[in-house]
Amino acid sequence: MLKDRFFPLFPLKSIQSHISLAFSLLILAAIVLTSLVSYQVSVAAVERNSKGYIEEIIKQVNLNIQSYVDNMENISLLALTNKDVKYYLSDNSFISEENRRTYEKRISDLFQAILYTRKDIASIMVYGYNGRFVSDRRITSLNPNTRLQDQAWYQMAKAAGGKSVISAPHVQNLIENEYRWVVSLSRELKSTDGITAEGVLLVDLNLSVINDICSNINLGQKGYLFIVDNEGNLVYHPQQQLIESKLRTERIKEVLQVSNGQSFVVNQGDGKRIYSVQDTNFGWRIAGVAYTDDLITSKDDLRNSIIFYSLFGLAISLLISIGLSHRLSKPIKVLQSDMKQVEKGNFDIQTKIGQMNEIGQLGRSFNLMVSRTKFLMEETIRNQENKRKSELLLLQAQINPHFLYNTLDSIVWMAEQKQHEEVVLMTAALAKLFRASITKDQELVPIRVELEHITNYLLIQKMRYNEELRYEIDIDESILGYKTLKILLQPFVENAIYHGIRNMYGIEDGRITIRGRASGDQIVFEVEDNGHGMTPEQQGRLLFSNEEDNRDQGIGIRNVDERIKLYFGYEYGIQIRSEIGEGTCITIVIPKLD
Amino acid sequence: MRKHRYTLWLVLAIIVLAVYAVFNFKFFSGVSHGERRVTVILETLNVQLDFWQAVHKGAEAAAKEMGLNVSVEGPLSEEGADAQIQILEAAIERKPHAIVIAPIKDDRMPAVLAKAREAGIKLVVIHSSPNMQPSPVVVSSNHFEAGRLAGQTSIKETNGHPVLALISDNENSAVSEERLVGMQLALADYKDSLMGIYYADQSEDRAYLIAKQLITSGSPINTFITLNESASLGVARVLKEQNRADDIRLIAFDSTGDEVQLLEAGIIKASIVQKPFNMGYLGVKTALKLIEGDKTNPITYMESNVITKENMYTTENQKLLFPFINSK
Repeated sequence: MLKDRFFPLFPLKSIQSHISLAFSLLILAAIVLTSLVSYQVSVAAVERNSKGYIEEIIKQVNLNIQSYVDNMENISLLALTNKDVKYYLSDNSFISEENRRTYEKRISDLFQAILYTRKDIASIMVYGYNGRFVSDRRITSLNPNTRLQDQAWYQMAKAAGGKSVISAPHVQNLIENEYRWVVSLSRELKSTDGITAEGVLLVDLNLSVINDICSNINLGQKGYLFIVDNEGNLVYHPQQQLIESKLRTERIKEVLQVSNGQSFVVNQGDGKRIYSVQDTNFGWRIAGVAYTDDLITSKDDLRNSIIFYSLFGLAISLLISIGLSHRLSKPIKVLQSDMKQVEKGNFDIQTKIGQMNEIGQLGRSFNLMVSRTKFLMEETIRNQENKRKSELLLLQAQINPHFLYNTLDSIVWMAEQKQHEEVVLMTAALAKLFRASITKDQELVPIRVELEHITNYLLIQKMRYNEELRYEIDIDESILGYKTLKILLQPFVENAIYHGIRNMYGIEDGRITIRGRASGDQIVFEVEDNGHGMTPEQQGRLLFSNEEDNRDQGIGIRNVDERIKLYFGYEYGIQIRSEIGEGTCITIVIPKLD
Repeated sequence: MRKHRYTLWLVLAIIVLAVYAVFNFKFFSGVSHGERRVTVILETLNVQLDFWQAVHKGAEAAAKEMGLNVSVEGPLSEEGADAQIQILEAAIERKPHAIVIAPIKDDRMPAVLAKAREAGIKLVVIHSSPNMQPSPVVVSSNHFEAGRLAGQTSIKETNGHPVLALISDNENSAVSEERLVGMQLALADYKDSLMGIYYADQSEDRAYLIAKQLITSGSPINTFITLNESASLGVARVLKEQNRADDIRLIAFDSTGDEVQLLEAGIIKASIVQKPFNMGYLGVKTALKLIEGDKTNPITYMESNVITKENMYTTENQKLLFPFINSK
């Protein structure tokens, strides 16, 4: 049902439309495939490029943050090596209470001087295990509710034993009424012997510095950057609160697993994105996340150009396919119209053969076929004509006026001689002869009839030649039922009488023998005489001469041969064997027909 | 046979076209939501108010993540119902795809919101649920749950013997009402635990006087629950003055700078803190869902955290109490 309704939409009647459809589809498929592949390739290229680009950005961020951290480190080294700080914190008592104020002022001045040059540093403080405390501020009131020992940076510094440690971002609540987001670098200070711990130095970096660096990075519209520490805790993330409230997940585990400088691609949740990871040398990992959609800024152009070129290619390919299919189907169409001509009966047509391809060969075969058909038709026409002619000749033979005249003359002569019996016999034989041959509608008669006919004929001839004609008929009884052409033997007997034995020194010495027998699936007749015989030239003339030449010989030998061949085929016919002075034997071969 | 072959071709062609369509669809679907416009209207844009600033930040975070065009608006001072309605009406004129609003309680508000809805603008109400039918999509803190948390905390702090007074702002406040109901549920098993409910509006002094009256009159109260900042500060002042911070617990809501200090000093024992950033974020995200026609919950609740002196500097709570890195 569907098919019926569907197919008329595509009137795929001609080979041309078939071919063009097939071509178009093939080309369409090829174009689609090519566009897909080219899109994939360009996307892959963009991704590859952007990976490098993100990596560069993250490296820059890394360097920036690194420089801040290095700076903190330098400040800490500066404080560490400062003699005032050392003395101030050392557990010995060579700093008196009066001197203490001076030391505090000098250290505070030093810290302040550093802070002036570095806007990124929030504060610098030193705590001595001896209870002394100095910060970059002259007057510092510590937050009474804060216990130093609970602070992560303090604990970490003690644990690290002299090495500097970087804390996670946190709110620094050491100073009363001051809550700042900072990243702390802390370090335990050793006494001059390098073993005894004397205090902790704290350098706070404003987190806004890192925040600004990270939030100002442009990784496309949706791209962002985040930092995790060694344990996988978030140091910075634009949506840290969402992640902590479990409203959002981040691929921290993967980021920790990837080695430095590597990247990986995630294609889940909200779109395909590239994670590029860099290690800092203080234990953080920076990960840049870029969405591929964002990165392919010329995506629309890419799409439009691919669609445009696809349509363009499609149009061209349609034209080409129509043209090509036309070219291919044109010779077929020509052949088709030539065939139509033949259908109408024009056999003189010969189709033009272009290239010798399959269609050319088809054309050649067609031409051969047409010419062969033409030949066969002409031959059929010719054969029909010949048949008619031989029938006419047969008719003539049946009523050979010469023979009739002679016979009647003999009858008259016999009547004058009062040979009544002979007259009756001869007249009866003549009547039988004619009756036998007059059955016109039947071309084929049983051999029995033919035998009767030739017997009558020989009877008449014998009476004409005053009983001097000697003959013998030897026909196998078993073949009497088979069919033969009528008046087959008469011309040969006639020939034997007129040209064989009549002109002999005495006809009474002449003898005609007629034999008939079966041989395989053939029937062979022989008409033999012992007359003059014939020269090969005469034999040839007998078989191949024009009909006009032997008109007087009645129905010609040649004519009989032709009739046999027309009716039974070319393998049948007559053979002449003759020698001068010895006689002639003519063999007639016809098929065995029931 | 021939038909079969061409059916095959047609099938092939259809497959090819389908692949092409998918390929193109992938192109189009990749287009960001940049043309989607969402207007967020807050109770106030006052930069001093961390709560609304955090909502603002959350909305911006959502806008960036989803590639939306979000504009955040609001009156510059709190209490500006007139100003907010004006802003809302102007926003309706501009016909954004969605409006996310934290409506100030006002009798005219439902009508204006209905107008927005009629204009085909998707509506998301944050922070509180308005009195309108049919109810719009709400993204809010679960005030009921917050009240219950406060009640539970009071039980825990008093070792199961809460005797408490509640100081609220006023009787009309829907948020305060929900908190109260939640708290009452938590205290249902403790007979006579709730000594009284008092209203002090936004006045610190009034709260101070109420608390002072209660304490000096020798009432057995061992817990104050204050539903807004001014009440918290007023009660805290009394406790400091009377030096009763150790035996009378103060459980507050929200976290302004002063409250944080009181929390650190141990005067406020616990504060029930909302997550305004998440509210802004989820408000915008829900608006996008509505625009896209995705399924949304009629009400999205956000939990609140109980913050005490002990846990106030955990990574998560730090962010809640100090939402802004640049704050001093």
